[in-house]
Amino acid sequence: MAITRRRFLSRGALASAGALLGPGLFGHPFVRDALATPGLDRYLVVLFLDGGNDGLNTVSPIDDGGGSLRFDYERARLTGPGGLRLAPDALLPIGVDPNTGAALGLHPGFAGVPGVAAGAGGLQALHQAGRLAVVQGVGLPSYSLSHAEAFSMWASANPFGIGAYTGGGWLGRHLAPLYGATEAPGVCIGGSVAGELQQPATGILAFERLDDFDFPYDPADDPADVAAKRAAFVASCQQHVTGTLYDAIGTTGLSALQSSESYHQLGRTPLHSVYSELDRGLGYDLREVARVIQGVEAGAPNVAARYFRVRNGGYDTHSDQRGADPDGQHFSLHAEVGASLKVFFDDLEEIGAGLADKVAVLVWSEFSRRPMQNDNGTDHGSQGPVFLVGGGVNGGIYGNHPNVAESAWDDSGNTVYRQSGAFRSTDVRDVYGTVLRHWLGLSNAQVQSLLPVDSVASLPVDEQWQSPNFDLVRPVGGVPLFKT
Amino acid sequence: MAESDALTRAKARHLLRRTSFGVTPAEIDRLLSSASTVGAAADRLVAFRPKGFKPGGRYFSNVHDAWFGWMLKTTQPLAEKMTLFWHDHFATAYSKVQSVKLMAQQNQFLRLNCVGDFRSMVKGINRDPAMIEFLDTTRNEKEIPNENYARELQELFTLGTKNLRGGEGDENYTQADIVQIARAFTGWSYSRTKPVFRDWAHDYDSEFGTERGPKVVYRSTGGFGPGGASFSQAGEGETEIDQVVDVIFRHRDWEGENTVARRLAKRLFEFFVGGRFAQVATPSVELDAIDEVILRSGFTTRWNVGALVREILVHDRFFDSLSDRGRKSVRWPVDVAVGTMRVLAMKPKGKYKYVPGGQYGGLLDHLRNMGQTVLEPPSVFGWDWESSWISSATLLARHAFVRDVAARWAEGFAPLALVSPASGDPAVVVDAVTEYLGVKDDLSPAEIAAFRGFLGGPVDLSSDEQVRRKIHGLFVLVMQSPAYQLH
Repeated sequence: MAITRRRFLSRGALASAGALLGPGLFGHPFVRDALATPGLDRYLVVLFLDGGNDGLNTVSPIDDGGGSLRFDYERARLTGPGGLRLAPDALLPIGVDPNTGAALGLHPGFAGVPGVAAGAGGLQALHQAGRLAVVQGVGLPSYSLSHAEAFSMWASANPFGIGAYTGGGWLGRHLAPLYGATEAPGVCIGGSVAGELQQPATGILAFERLDDFDFPYDPADDPADVAAKRAAFVASCQQHVTGTLYDAIGTTGLSALQSSESYHQLGRTPLHSVYSELDRGLGYDLREVARVIQGVEAGAPNVAARYFRVRNGGYDTHSDQRGADPDGQHFSLHAEVGASLKVFFDDLEEIGAGLADKVAVLVWSEFSRRPMQNDNGTDHGSQGPVFLVGGGVNGGIYGNHPNVAESAWDDSGNTVYRQSGAFRSTDVRDVYGTVLRHWLGLSNAQVQSLLPVDSVASLPVDEQWQSPNFDLVRPVGGVPLFKT
Repeated sequence: MAESDALTRAKARHLLRRTSFGVTPAEIDRLLSSASTVGAAADRLVAFRPKGFKPGGRYFSNVHDAWFGWMLKTTQPLAEKMTLFWHDHFATAYSKVQSVKLMAQQNQFLRLNCVGDFRSMVKGINRDPAMIEFLDTTRNEKEIPNENYARELQELFTLGTKNLRGGEGDENYTQADIVQIARAFTGWSYSRTKPVFRDWAHDYDSEFGTERGPKVVYRSTGGFGPGGASFSQAGEGETEIDQVVDVIFRHRDWEGENTVARRLAKRLFEFFVGGRFAQVATPSVELDAIDEVILRSGFTTRWNVGALVREILVHDRFFDSLSDRGRKSVRWPVDVAVGTMRVLAMKPKGKYKYVPGGQYGGLLDHLRNMGQTVLEPPSVFGWDWESSWISSATLLARHAFVRDVAARWAEGFAPLALVSPASGDPAVVVDAVTEYLGVKDDLSPAEIAAFRGFLGGPVDLSSDEQVRRKIHGLFVLVMQSPAYQLH
């Protein structure tokens, strides 16, 4: 009769993983206090909207206020067949653009998935709870309309490829000096380690589902063979020259072996959202995040992740984008994101009182889309909104809506990045910097060391990021982005 | 050049593992007996006329499994490696195309042209219905141009965004070029499985104020001079999109070298040699290698991909990893899956093509978990290569796959039909198995000791129980080692 690995382990034949692995390897890092980052009893979840989300139909002007935002919006976004215009009464009001005074609204998809109880109210409900901060007009100088380049520029926060900062993500640079190679401070839900978290030093985990994150021993093996194979596997992962692919694979293998044994158990945790109709895609991904957070909070051994990364795809809406049509692609994407985030925070509330105040979600996309629509779609664009969601966030509107008037477009027909004037843009590094400084507790100098200021001779000064501002505040009332 | 170097066993193995899926000792013997130099071996490897195989079936999984089955049994493995390369290069995903027929048709097109004329291939992909659907050419109409195809044609299929200089002023094209090329493609669509040109949807663009007429591109890049290059002199529609490709293939970078040739040679070096070619500095030995293979193959006049690949296979850089293990390349998931099943003489079973051992998972599931579902690339860029293939998730999926293929109860796995160690002595057994799996020279002494330690003591090779515990187990362990993930 074959004995499964789990039954075997539960019999206690493998008294401790560390004993087999030898001293020094797992002796310290996994059990080190998870609060290595000063003040970090918090979590950061990065949600990447893959493909270039159309910001103009994410946060849209409802009226002109003291300017012409709605007028300009209607010039670019048409009605009739193939039109993308969102009617003023369809938008979900969230506040006023600080620059023009125009009333702003979320795309109607953000009210939740029609007919689905789970996550009802969607992002609108989170807004009403004061948990949604919208940072408008976020971009980088000298933007790229290539998905790959734009992604790399945003994820690295290094648009001009300054040498010392290449080869990693903005969060990866933050984590690399703080954690050892076999530590796992971060988790990517998905098959690979995502750009923001990439770096050479620490062992970021990647898995799609906790249930499947399991070391594949042969189910027919007896305990002695399992132990012998485990020891041989560990040995084969340890014997390689640092910096080589052998070493990288070996380190990943050790980290996967050790972590999976702890994380796998978390897949069994019952959560409210288990019963939700959003038991797929992004909703499911965020549920796995909630389970890991639950594990950390409960003190599960070897579970110490504070940084998470999830992705939602389908935003490259050159075609079939549609406006407010509930069957349209953009509506469905917004509905899924809003409802999934709502369920996620519902789960956090259920896991522990006050936990929702310790989790912030940063939502971004590699670029926005062209103001002037094509037939039922949009081409690649420039600045767009970034969301920060969570109980520790001061909800409201930060930054200015981009100027979508045709007279203000550049040669590509896109809105422009400026660090001066009424329509001043927000550099994404100011957003990251504010997160690092005020959510993750770094000093101003530490943040400056992570985010390179570039000086590019060919660009006018006001099209460059010369005056970092890691203390973003709401223009109305001077409220900071994060609660203290 | 390694052209006239004697074909050693190590070099033969290296040529085969990079141009096929896994290598058996018998295949190495065959190549050694048919060629005495590296050049002669390379000639043999590229000398094939692609077969017209088209993966059939009603559902996505059928087409996926059909292609996998063909990779397993084909006598032209390089044709399948190249088809895979082109599938990554001209990445097209079923989830958007939503037609197994069009995906299969494109797969056949890639195979038939896999070592042919690259310029003709790009002209063909312009008219490929799956591509017309995938990159929205069918939605690119006058007055509402859709730039998706025009951008990716330049960024991904031919020029790349930047030439090899790096830094400022290295752009190969501008947004204005994208708009002009998008205009040329207006009106193209497809009907059932054939491309069609719809004259009524072509060109007129209110912003430019003119109906039809020449389109000028590359005024500031490409070495065409301030007048740029133009197409559509010979008429719109049928010939115009061919002229676009002709112009692109005349594009020159800042050093006056052909931009398309350099970029494709670079990609093929990355594919066949390794990741160090992903970032090519100017000057560098990598850039020298790129220019040498272009020159030697006459690529900029004939655009013959087979000739270009042949020159890469005989280049010194191709063999660097034999002397420097740090220059190895991470095997693609498909390479691990097909290679492992080929080398272990295993076949997927049943309607769902499951791997007959361990958890009896379907091939499609195994490959998805390993991070590569063919016909479903993650984005227009295809897959990320090298270390991006490896994460905790995908590595455990590789381990699960090799576990299942050689599991204790794997159906049909007969290790002693593959290796015949002279005795059951642990050192002899480990030597035989690691040699058979092609990693013997890549293991550290401590790893070899660990594998011997797993066997514990002499293995009774006549005992079915011992063989299943120890020999099956050793195969799994070796295939789970870092060395097996590299080649």
